[in-house]
Amino acid sequence: MTEELKSKEVPPPRHAMTGAPQPYRSLLKPDPRSGGTGKGFVAAVVLHVLVIGSAVFLPQLFDKPHPLRKPVIARLVALGKPREANLLPRRESPPPPAAAPAPAPSRPEAPAPAVKTAPGRRPSVTPPRAPSRAELMQQALAGVSKRSRANPTEEKPDPDREGSPTGSPEGTSATAEEGDKYFTEIHDAIQANYVVPSVISERERMYLTASVTVYVAPDGSIVKSEFTKPSGNSFFDQALVLAIQRTKLPVPPPELRKLARDGLQLDFRP
Amino acid sequence: MAQRPTIDISGARVQAYPIALAPPQGDAAGQEIFAVLQADLDRSGLFKVLDPRSFLAPADEGVGEKSIDYSRWTSVGAQGLVKAVVQAQGDRLAAEFHLYDAPRAREVLQKTYALPRSQLRQLAHRFADDVVRLFTQDPGAFQTRIAYVRETASGKQIVVADSDGFGPQQLTTASINLLPAWTPDGRAIAFTTFRDGTGAHIYSVDPSNRALRTLVSTGDFATGAAFAPDGSRLLFTSSVEENTDIYAAKPDGSGTRRLTESRGIDVSASYSPDGKQIAFVSDRAGSPQIYLMAADGSGVRRLTFQGNFNQEPAWSPKGDLIAFTGRDEKRSFDVYTVNAQTGKIARLTQNQGTNEKPSWAPNGQLLLFSSSRTGKRQLWTMTPDGSNPRQVTDEPQGAFDPAWGPLAR
Repeated sequence: MTEELKSKEVPPPRHAMTGAPQPYRSLLKPDPRSGGTGKGFVAAVVLHVLVIGSAVFLPQLFDKPHPLRKPVIARLVALGKPREANLLPRRESPPPPAAAPAPAPSRPEAPAPAVKTAPGRRPSVTPPRAPSRAELMQQALAGVSKRSRANPTEEKPDPDREGSPTGSPEGTSATAEEGDKYFTEIHDAIQANYVVPSVISERERMYLTASVTVYVAPDGSIVKSEFTKPSGNSFFDQALVLAIQRTKLPVPPPELRKLARDGLQLDFRP
Repeated sequence: MAQRPTIDISGARVQAYPIALAPPQGDAAGQEIFAVLQADLDRSGLFKVLDPRSFLAPADEGVGEKSIDYSRWTSVGAQGLVKAVVQAQGDRLAAEFHLYDAPRAREVLQKTYALPRSQLRQLAHRFADDVVRLFTQDPGAFQTRIAYVRETASGKQIVVADSDGFGPQQLTTASINLLPAWTPDGRAIAFTTFRDGTGAHIYSVDPSNRALRTLVSTGDFATGAAFAPDGSRLLFTSSVEENTDIYAAKPDGSGTRRLTESRGIDVSASYSPDGKQIAFVSDRAGSPQIYLMAADGSGVRRLTFQGNFNQEPAWSPKGDLIAFTGRDEKRSFDVYTVNAQTGKIARLTQNQGTNEKPSWAPNGQLLLFSSSRTGKRQLWTMTPDGSNPRQVTDEPQGAFDPAWGPLAR
């Protein structure tokens, strides 16, 4: 009986050259010398559980706001003539009416950016159609090239400069992160409605600040907004409430939905 | 809790505060009062007075806090809402004004005034002043008066009027009279006159009785009076031996002392609001430019370096800006401001005829100036950034040389 059993026993592997007995290699099969399930098998199962588990749960653990970069605010150079330093200044004037409409942009589905107007005192005439980024770019490039012709000492723009064909000549970032884009859109949307009443004296206006937290639904609607830090001036605070009420926020990208739902803080400064 | 992402938002646009003047109730004089009030609020540049045709609330809506349907007012864009009841009491009018914050549905100001019917416009000015003070903490300047020079067939005459140009009264009758300047108490107006027939001299006139007084009659050329904010000194320009300089004197013209000693022409002195500095015009560097000096004439420094014909400085009651008339390279005269600290110049008027001789409202919120934009020179107001121009005078032959009087005491 004992003999039979021994005959079924798998012989321990031996070294090919020396014929010396080798340690048992398979980690998956049970070690016949010790009996029971292999340690390796247990380790593998645990590892699998860990890997799958981390794939499922880790994103939630790490789904915290990533450090926010400053919104990329592009300002376009006004088309005009440089003025000699010894002349009296010209009055700030609104930009000329938009040029004849250029061919439709190649990506008509792209949302037209909010047109920034200088914080001028005169209401600017609303153009019949908001120019696309490409058109603004062309206008700005035309202005830049004219300026460089008028002033030969000025550095010419680098034709190979890294950037985006829809960027601004004054942009400082080569690429725009998706997060930046969303926050920049929020900034632009609210800033377009950021209007304070002239009854707040200029001296006070210079120092007023307030923080508002907005909670944004996945469809971009504002679920709730509350003052984290009011300014103390009721006219200013009321203007901020109005600005937020009037703003249609962009739809947050999927990866920022939770962040937007948990609240974005808007710090208003003069 | 994880820290929230923060978005900085700056660069607010400044917009006039939308205010609705609900039709006044009671005596018919209320309509007239509201017309004056509307013009005041509009001229201030602080408010956008909404068109009554857009109103949704019924005309007989009550004036009390509880009787107002605020949503009808906010839906037409109103943030401020004025309601009033005017009642006749013999020959007097009593006006009860309410100002509501419509989005918050609450009253923020309530005032009742009673004045003789003849001073109906003052009722409106008083409430407008109180509204301005509520919002800006500055005193309102609607109850103040202005002085200016009226062109007439018999010369140029000194005139006083309400700050909105209403009720002009001519104080002089003959000769050429220019450059009116109020004493800080508002009881007299000094001016430059050729009435002696022996050149230009400085007189003063009492606007209440037109009584004249001689202030400076020495020499053959004395002009451009300006009083210190505390009334203790009088500045003027005088020519002695072909040298035109700025002199200081006691307010009655006695005890003169020369302040500038350049070989060029020094004119048009204007005190800073604290009385410690003087802005003036000098051509000592070749072209007329704005200069500053201490009140005793020391520490002269040049303030403007742009343009080649800058004149008529007027120091803001807030102290930061000096308004002046400049001539640009197209020989167009316009109003500018220069920051007294930094020398930074801003242009306030452009492509609107000839614009000259800025004079500040005593609260610093508006500038009065002469402009030929509609033909003959008339007086206009605008805000210190050059916006919201509004015509003030309607003189058949024209008006110029404005001087805004002090705050009512």
